[in-house]
This record gives sequence, C-alpha cells and structure tokens, in this order.
Amino acid sequence: MQRKGRTAFIVAFLSPAVFIYALFVIWPLLQSFVLSFYRWRGVSQQKTFVGAENYRKLAVDDVFWQALRNNLALLVGVGFLAIVLGVVIAHAMQGGGRLSKMLRGVYLFPQAISLVVVSILWMFLYNPSFGLLTTGLKAVGLERYDHAWLGEPKTALPAVGTAFLWYIAGFYIMLFAAGLRAIPEEVNEAVALEGALGMKKFWTITWPMLWSIKRIAVVYVVINVMNVFALVYLMTQGGPDRKTEVMLTYLYEQAFKNSQFGYATALAVANFLVAMGLSALLMFVFRRDPQEARA
Amino acid sequence: MNNKSILAFSLTALAIVLTGCGSPGTPGTPDKVTPVAVKEAPTGATAKGEIEEVAFKGGYGIDFYQKAAEEFATKNPGLKVTVTGDPRVWEQLRPRFVGDTPPDLCFPGWGMDHWALVAEGQLLALDDALKSKPFAGDGTWGDTFEPSLLALGQQDGHQYILPYYFNVMGWWYDPGVFARNSWTVPKTFDDLLKLGDQIRAKGIAPITYQGKYPYYMIDGMLLPWAFDVGGADAVKAAQNLEPGAWKSSALLQAAKMIKQLQDKGFFQKGATAMSHTESQTEFLQGHAAMIPCGTWLSSEMKNVMPAGAKMEFMLPPSVAGGKGDASNVIIGIEPWMIPAKAKNPEGAVALFKYMTSLDKAKQFVEQKSTLMAIKGSDSAKLPDALKTPAKVFKESKAVWSVQYRQWYPAFETEIENALTSMLNGEATPEQFCDRVESGAEKVRQDSSITKHKVTG
Amino acid sequence: MKKALSTSGAVLFALTVVAPLIWVLLTSFKSGAEVFASPWALPKQLLWKNYTNAWQEAGISHYFMNSSIVTAFTLLLLLPVGAMAAYIFGRYPFRGSKVLFGAFLGGMMFPNFLVIVPLFFLLRDLHMLDTKTGLVFVYVAYSLSFTIFVLTGFFQALPGELAEAAMIDGCGHASTFWRIMLPLAKPGLIVVGIFNAIGLWNEYGLALVLVSSEANKTLPLGIANLVMTQHYESDWGALFAGLVIVMVPVLVVYWIFRDRIHDTMLAGALKG
Repeated sequence: MQRKGRTAFIVAFLSPAVFIYALFVIWPLLQSFVLSFYRWRGVSQQKTFVGAENYRKLAVDDVFWQALRNNLALLVGVGFLAIVLGVVIAHAMQGGGRLSKMLRGVYLFPQAISLVVVSILWMFLYNPSFGLLTTGLKAVGLERYDHAWLGEPKTALPAVGTAFLWYIAGFYIMLFAAGLRAIPEEVNEAVALEGALGMKKFWTITWPMLWSIKRIAVVYVVINVMNVFALVYLMTQGGPDRKTEVMLTYLYEQAFKNSQFGYATALAVANFLVAMGLSALLMFVFRRDPQEARA
Repeated sequence: MNNKSILAFSLTALAIVLTGCGSPGTPGTPDKVTPVAVKEAPTGATAKGEIEEVAFKGGYGIDFYQKAAEEFATKNPGLKVTVTGDPRVWEQLRPRFVGDTPPDLCFPGWGMDHWALVAEGQLLALDDALKSKPFAGDGTWGDTFEPSLLALGQQDGHQYILPYYFNVMGWWYDPGVFARNSWTVPKTFDDLLKLGDQIRAKGIAPITYQGKYPYYMIDGMLLPWAFDVGGADAVKAAQNLEPGAWKSSALLQAAKMIKQLQDKGFFQKGATAMSHTESQTEFLQGHAAMIPCGTWLSSEMKNVMPAGAKMEFMLPPSVAGGKGDASNVIIGIEPWMIPAKAKNPEGAVALFKYMTSLDKAKQFVEQKSTLMAIKGSDSAKLPDALKTPAKVFKESKAVWSVQYRQWYPAFETEIENALTSMLNGEATPEQFCDRVESGAEKVRQDSSITKHKVTG
Repeated sequence: MKKALSTSGAVLFALTVVAPLIWVLLTSFKSGAEVFASPWALPKQLLWKNYTNAWQEAGISHYFMNSSIVTAFTLLLLLPVGAMAAYIFGRYPFRGSKVLFGAFLGGMMFPNFLVIVPLFFLLRDLHMLDTKTGLVFVYVAYSLSFTIFVLTGFFQALPGELAEAAMIDGCGHASTFWRIMLPLAKPGLIVVGIFNAIGLWNEYGLALVLVSSEANKTLPLGIANLVMTQHYESDWGALFAGLVIVMVPVLVVYWIFRDRIHDTMLAGALKG
C-alpha cells in the first residue's frame, strides 16, 4: 500500500470520532471523579471542595446501602433465573429448525421495545384496579393471594424483578443458544456413542463446554443489573419506602431532585466501582479451570 | 470482554480516581452562605418587548394563561408573550436557573423547591410591585390578594412568591351514595369509626387513598389531626422543626388514628400501590366511600366521572376535645414568581397584574373550577363541587398551610416513606414518629440546608 | 416425546412474552371505563378515537417527529464518522492504534449514568442542554463504540486486493475509502444503522436528563410524560394507544431484520 500521505489520512479519518468521543465521553468521565469531591447544589456557580466528605456520607447513608442491597438482590435473583431460563429454553430450542428461529425472534421482542414501554406495561399488569394479575386472581377465586404488588414491601422488589426478567431473558437465551450451537457435533456424537443421555450428558459434557458463555453471561448480569434505572424509576420510583430503590434511582433523586450533584457523582463512582469489582470477582469464579478445559 | 480489558479498565479508573481530583474543574469558592442582596422587581408600569412565561401544566392546563397572554399582547401592541408548560415543568426550569437563562414569569409547580431559589437569590422581591397600582381599580396591587394567602409567599419580610389559584385540602364523598345508604357525614373521629363499620358491612371500603403519593395522607389526615389534637402550635413547631415536635403527643396521636383506621380495615385493599388517578377512579366508581384530596379533584377527574356520580367536600373528621379549632383547614397556594435573571421583569409584573385582575380571576374560577387568591373572585359562579370548600375557607377560624414540604424536600421524602412503612404494617405509630423526628434532626444538623420558619 | 415436551416449554415462554403485548393492543381500543370494568374482556367496539387522541391531543405525533429527527441525524453523523474510524482501525494499523481502539471499546462497558451529572453540565456550558443538537451529539458519542467495533470487523474482512488495485489506479487513501471500500461495507452499515436506530428510538435515561422542554421531547420521554399527564387528565384508552404507537414501528423493523440484528447483538455480546 502507498505510504504517501498515510499519516495525514489516518489523522483526518480518526479525528472526528476521537474529538466527539473525547468531548462527550472521556471528559465527563474524568469530571465525574472530580465532581465527587465537591459539594455543589447546581443552582448557582457555588462549588465547594469537600475532599472525601461525599464518600464518608455515603458510607453511613442507610439509603445507599439499602439501594446496594436491592441491586444485589436483583443480581442474585434475576441473574440466576435469567441464566437458568437461558440455558433451559436454549436447550429446548436446540435443533428446532424454523420454529426455533422464530421463537428466537419472539424472545428478543422485549429488548426491541423501549424500556419505557416495558415499565408502563408491567405497571399496568400489576395495577390493583384493572391489572391482569389482580383481576385474574379474583376471577379464579384466589383473591386471598392477591397483593398490591408494587405497593407492598414484600412483593414490590420481586414484582419489579419479574418485569426485569421478562425484559432480559431473551438476551440470555440467545447467548446460550449460541453457546450450544458452538459445541462441535463430534462431541455430541461421541457422547451419544458412550450412552450418556439426558441430565447426565448435560452436566458432564454440555455445562462444562459452556464455560466461556457462562462467564460472559454473568458479566452481563452485573452490567444489566447495576444499570437498571428506567424500569424502577417509572414503575415505583424506588417505593414503597425504598423497598425497590436501586443505586441509579437514588443517584437521580440526589442529583435532579435534591440538587446534591457532588453527592450524586460520588454515588455514580461507587456504583461503577461495585460493578467493576463484581465483574472481576465473577470472572475469577467462572474462570476456565483445567478440568473443564479438558472436557 | 476478557480479563485483560477488565484489568486495564479498572486500572485506568483507579488512575483517574487517584490523579483526577487535582487537575481539571473549577476551583471551589468558599461555601459561606453570603446573604443574598434583595433585588426588587419593577412595578410593571409598561409592557414592551418579549415576555416568556413558563407554567406547570397540571389539571388546569395552560390554555387559560395562553389566552390571557394573547389578550394582554393585543392590549399592548408590539408586545410578544410566549407561554409554555409541562407536567414536570420544574425539570426544565432547574437547568435554566442554573444557566442564568430563566423565563420572565414562572409557575414551577410542586416539584420545584422555590425556597431554595429564594435562598440562592434567584428570585425578585415583589414588595414595590405590590405597593404599586393594580391592573384595574384603586388601591394597591397587594390589596387585591387574600392576605392570608399572600402571607405564605413571604420570607424575611419580603414577598417573593405570589399566589394565584389555591386549593383547599379535605375529604370527599358521594352524597348520592351516602343518602341511598342513609349514612351521615362523620363530624368527629368517633363518628368516622362508627360509620366505617356500617360502610364495611355493605362491602365497600370506607376510605381509599393515593398510596404512591403519601402526601395526600399527610395533608388529609396526619397534619389536620395533629392540629386538632395539639392546636396550631403543635403543627407550627413541627413545621419549624423544633426538637421533639414530630414526636409530640399531637403528632403521635394523629399517627395512631391513622393506624387505627388501618387496623380496622377501613382502607381499600391495594390502595397502597395506587396513583392518585387510580384511587380517585376507585372512589368515583363507588368502590370506596371517602378519599382525602384537594379541591382540584373535580377538574382532575372530569373525564372519568361515571354517570350519576357526585362529589362533595368535607373537612377531615375532627378530634373531639382537642386543643385545635375544629374549623381548621389546610390550603395550598400555587406559587408564581419572577426570576432575578429575568430579561423582562417589568413586562412580567405587568402581565401578572393583568392575570390577577378581578375579571380574569373570576373567569379562571368559572372555567377551571378552582378558588382564586383574589378578593371577590368567589362572587363568580362557583361549580357545585367548590361551593362547600369556598364556604369552609371563608368560615374557618384557622386557615393554615403545609410549608415545610417545599423547604426540605429530602425530609418530606423521609416522612412519606415512614408513613408508607407504617401503612404497610412495618412500623408502629411510635416508630413512625421516631423516624420522622430523626429525619428532622438530620435537617437541623445539616448546615448546608437553609432553615425557614412559619410566619404568623 | 421428550422433545415435544421441551418444545412446548419453549413455546409457552414465547407466549408469556407475547401475551402482555396483545393485552396492550386490545386494551388500546377500550374506553376509560371499560379499562377498569373489564380488563380481561375483548373491547366492545374498536375505539379508534383513542389513537387520534393519543396522536393529536396527547401530542404523540410531535414526539414521534422528534424521535425521527434525532434518530435520523444521529445516524447521519454516526455512520460516516464511525466508518472512517473503523476503516483506520481495520486496515491502517499504527503505533498505539490498539490502545485507542481499546479506549473506544471501553465505552461499550461503562454505564452512561456514571457521567450523567458532568454530561449535563457540559451540555449546559456548550449551550446544548435541552436541544436536539445536544442530544444528537451525545447519542453519536455513546454509539461510537459499538459502531466502530462492528464496522472494524467488516473492513478487516473485505478483500485487500480491491483497495490495492484502486490505489494503483491512482486513487488516494480517501477516495479509495469513499468509492470502493465504503460501498462494499454497505451490509455492515445497514445492520449497524438499524441496530443503533432501535436503541436510539428507545433511549430514555440520557434524554430524561438532557432534554426537558416539550418541544424537544422524544417518544420514550413523551410516553412517560403521557403517563404523568394522564395522572392529571385521566384518559386511559389513549395511554394504551400511545404505547402501541411507540411499540409497533420498532417491532416491525425488528421483525424484518431480526436475524441480522440477532447476529450483530451476539457478536457484540461475545466479543465486547
């Protein structure tokens, strides 16, 4: 290839992307860390450097810990179910030809529609007056199992979690379906010859072979759950009494309702570090161990 | 994403944390609360140029303001007035205040902490303007307002907020339903306890409420009952965050009364998860006999009024033998203001004078079915649902207002959460009061929060 | 037998995905009173008025327009800028290009909310807060990572001989890109474009913070707004109709391109 003008060409072609990315992504990212050391109400230019005060406040803020607990509860509950659903449905779809291709399309419906629609939709499903759940239970005489799903402390988080699961399950089905497809045909045939079948085959052969997909899946669970905002913000605003509060709804409240911008940024940084820490931990837990490597 | 990129990214993040604090960013100015100079608005003698008005678009819409603006522009050739609004208008106004580009006249709705704006010097004082001539008639502009309502917009002897329409808080019932069942409207809490059992016997919930927005219960039960029990001083002390005020015997008894209704099963099932429209629709559908709500109820629900349904206002049943006047009533003004950085404050004052003229006020009453803070506006033809509240307001010996909510929004969140928690059976009235009191203590300790006092 | 059982499980799950959507569709034809009185019943008649109410009175048409404008302009800026950068990363390795590429990929991983407060004030300082322009630039910036990632793969896969032949014929680096390579990457551009378009059409968090006036609100903000307004005016039927209006275009586009979207998503997920 011609060397002439290569450098100039590279610079010219990269600079628009670099400029936009640096200005709107990198610079605010740096600012985030800076701002978390300030107290700032944002109504005026008054900004006060307060050192680690925001982080100290965070450490003793019950709401922050409650939000973190809720995030972790969603992580464990929804994450676990999403992965189980992903594996089971992906397994069920295997080799289904046209039908499974169509089902695959359907599973991703929720991902294609806006989270706003998903949230409102589920709000309505849970609605205590006309929601399908409440009226359905009444219709079949199970009224005593009815709840004000999004309003009661015990049911609110599971209710939000169910909506969340509905939203993300398709993604994990897709992941595991791809993982299953990637298992070489010879492996399956060899296993069939040895007579391993059903659950045994799954646990000894298939599950270990999925190690890389599992790892990707858990990292995505962390990312998805730590980023949950719209769903909670629209469905419950974190209520009742913070029972569904998550880190990002609390961040939003502190920044755009209470005008505590410095504190909100500290929350953002904390959220980020938790997500990074959890990802790293889970990647370690789900690393490819030598035994699996042999499988 | 592989191990390496995670690691690289974490390290970058760490590096940013470690090095970032010193480098970019504006140097901090000391956080001493400099007393903000009071800036007086002009008197609005003339209206020229352009006026931008931004208003909360709630149940009454913004069409009336738009119409008034048009009329005013025709009266003042060459004047251009734009009126915009939004149901969450405060979210738009906040960045504009920050960016020093606020509109000229604004009504930021309930989501804006306008006392923070006063504290930051973001609003013009309107004392001179109120001493000047009104749009029509003699006297001063200030004389045209109901004094008790005007007083709610003052701080340190200056007027920053002006009332426009106002709401009366109370309870609602359907007189038709009550007549059919020969129920009588409960005057006292004991009446309510008896009536509630009768209502329940008919398979109807005695009370429903807006569980997603607990301030309806605060203004409809907790605070009026605290007033009934402990008198004006008890709620004043609470609003002023005096130590112990939120767990005083008055507040505690009010909380216990709510809990008692809850324990007797008087609240509609599912209400804890309902939004205002949902619970209000339940009420109109006859699934619940009573609901706490302000005078905006009738216009808010006009589209979903079932045929034959009626609504009538009542004061919350009072507490017999309490210190407070049984006629006490909570009212709320809707705050209008002129930003200190407004480009055309002169025009804004002139426009608002026009909007608050008696003729416009009467029109507002008739078109929007609400009460106005302008003297004499109740001589307009009042809609049925407003007749009782107007009478209650006029005859009340103790008109008061819930003000701490705007002053301490984070504290309000805490009270609402505590109330939700009690209504969900997670806390006793004592625990509720303790929790609210410790929330008040937090505000008292936080020097970065500007403190306010109930005047009068 | 076992196969049938597991297949029916898969079908059942598909039904739980679709059923709520169908309920929304049916409810969108009901009157406000009907919504409350008989949530499980079929609509008594098809109340198309809900749709005109949502489209006109509730202002959905306006939000629809805004979303179209923002999405279109974002793509118009994003695709060329992204493709240019991807072309360099794919075919012009230089010292440090791996690091730079990594910096771009990093954007795929960290949450937008980490930067929301500084971003809000950055836009304010640029006088881009609450403007469609501001939203477009932010959307371009936050879509670059994925776009560059996918297109780099495309350019790498294109046969190098074509570019070399063009260069020998006297085309410069740039004109080789515009005349030969970019047209060859068209399938990639389409996939990336559609994938981004769906995401942008649905985006809520950034828009919530960065846009505030009615004039600039996008469809997700608008529909959330409609829920709020409905809290003041109570038109339930129109609200459901509004949901349908938001969902349907995306679902149609998604269904047409579902296989390619699926592959792109998967590629992004596996390599991210």
